[in-house]
Amino acid sequence: MSVAAARPDIASARLIVGLEIHVELATRSKMFTRAANLAHPDNFAAAPNTLVDPLVAALPGTLPVMNRRAVEMSMMVGMALGCTIPPRAKWDRKNYYYPDLPKGYQISQYDMPLCVDGSFDLRMGEAPDAPVRRIGIIRAHLEEDTGKLGHELPGGATYEGSLVDLNRAGTPLLEIVTAPDFATADEVVLFAQQLRDLCRFLGVTEGIMQKGHMRFEPNVNLALTLADGREVRTPVVEIKNLNSFRAVRAAIEHECARQQQEWRESGREMGRGMKSTRGWDDVAMVTVLQREKEDAHDYRYFPDPDLVPVEIDAAWRERVRAQMPELPESRRARYIAAGLPWKDVRQLLDEPPLCAFLDACAAAAGGDAARATFAAAKLLLNSGLKYANERGVALASAGISPAQLAGIVALRESGDLPAQSVDALFAELCTGDGEAREVAQRMGLLAVQDDGQLVAWVDAAIAANAQAADDVRAGKMAAIGRLVGAVMKQAGGAVDGKRAQACILSRLGAGGR
Amino acid sequence: MSRDSRISADDVRHVARLARLALPESRIEAMAADLRAIVAHIDKLSSADVDGLEPMAHPSATVNRLADDVPEPSMPVEDLLRNAPDVEGDFLAVPKVIGGDSA
Repeated sequence: MSVAAARPDIASARLIVGLEIHVELATRSKMFTRAANLAHPDNFAAAPNTLVDPLVAALPGTLPVMNRRAVEMSMMVGMALGCTIPPRAKWDRKNYYYPDLPKGYQISQYDMPLCVDGSFDLRMGEAPDAPVRRIGIIRAHLEEDTGKLGHELPGGATYEGSLVDLNRAGTPLLEIVTAPDFATADEVVLFAQQLRDLCRFLGVTEGIMQKGHMRFEPNVNLALTLADGREVRTPVVEIKNLNSFRAVRAAIEHECARQQQEWRESGREMGRGMKSTRGWDDVAMVTVLQREKEDAHDYRYFPDPDLVPVEIDAAWRERVRAQMPELPESRRARYIAAGLPWKDVRQLLDEPPLCAFLDACAAAAGGDAARATFAAAKLLLNSGLKYANERGVALASAGISPAQLAGIVALRESGDLPAQSVDALFAELCTGDGEAREVAQRMGLLAVQDDGQLVAWVDAAIAANAQAADDVRAGKMAAIGRLVGAVMKQAGGAVDGKRAQACILSRLGAGGR
Repeated sequence: MSRDSRISADDVRHVARLARLALPESRIEAMAADLRAIVAHIDKLSSADVDGLEPMAHPSATVNRLADDVPEPSMPVEDLLRNAPDVEGDFLAVPKVIGGDSA
């Protein structure tokens, strides 16, 4: 404590964070061999060590061949991040021994990565007019994931050693490195979320955090302004392998407090050999020292003689660029402009296939694009999600076609389909190919358009509910629900609520609202 | 490691540790001498005049040996396990490693 007393007080602390993100690419096969890829949905449920071939197991005589799709997915992410795709990239070996790495080295890219020098416009909040901050992207390089070590036997018993499962070994892994441009944990989390949206819309990863499809490694230090006016920087700490947004936020916030405490005690400043690596304890909510720089790995990178370089010419680059789907930021703006509330927009952005399906529905509906998008989205998020959730299926593959859904939109617009019949029609259309109007007709769901019939029902309802009718005449509009209910009961649902209400008002002479 | 072929006993110990080789202390000096000879031999390359030449990433002029993303069957798990010194169920079993995966 006497040592700490010799140091001036900390007047203020400014957080400095750079982020490394590992994205598991959802190709069908692995990075350098054609064994199936654990990060592809077809293989999520694979039993241990069943996605292994002689190359994954590093048996002698095997040679790697790179996966074209993995290279193209990486180019796509790089282009979406505004990166330059250099004309030439190469592969290097990163050497270290670990039981989850059968070859004794990881194939990675050291000094000639696939993507360099980009930037990402980070939207600093959810509001449509939230300010944007530009985050530098230093590089993105492609490598291979390792196997997985476990300590639990099937059934849950603890094993005293480590259990190696090589299913994940060789999964294509894109490592994205940002500049140290973040000043708060919130910014880092927003970036992580928006990058996840981006990668999911590009279709390069399923982005399931619990499965480790995206793993985050913040590099954190502080610029401390001292009471005597000096500014010092604390040593950089790399926090390994965070796989939830909650952990990203908590680990950075903890490190911010811990580094101030550490500086008070040691006075150590940023400098050569000072960087350390810490893990995150999700239970104790603290970072834990993993290794100091002194015993850091010496990876002895060198070019992999088994792999030839990648040359990317303008034609290939443009071919890949042409495959890029609409990015989430553009969709987000389009949906908000269509009048959808943020809650709905967020829900859509969480499911890229649903967005694609919505856009197809809106296109099928035709007419004004914004209006069609709004109507189709409302149908999908109400009747559609209800149907999908009840049956535990994905909405985009529930069985209804964009043309069928557009048919419901048209029936609603024309007033031919009462609101209360939408769910039933939606469900029926999911089970067959019928056209919306024909199916609604067959099911007896279409609204009665005979005004004489409606007036008869309304008059009967008024006669049977004189008090409610008087209340409405006196301007107590809350009472109208009772009359509408009475009409609906007689109509057996074959009339739209809004149309019934309008008719009631006109029969009561209570004005056209 | 210095490029002037002066490989110390500590360099040998460091490299042996990285390669997880249990090198007895009695062999360190002999190993250092061998490595010095090897590095000196390779160092002859340094005398080549490479002014004006682009560094090569690979001796072959071939590029873009790419495979289509079409999965093929895995090897039977029994075949994999047959190569392992120790197994537990369908896992390869190794001494306890602290600190989780290396990824």
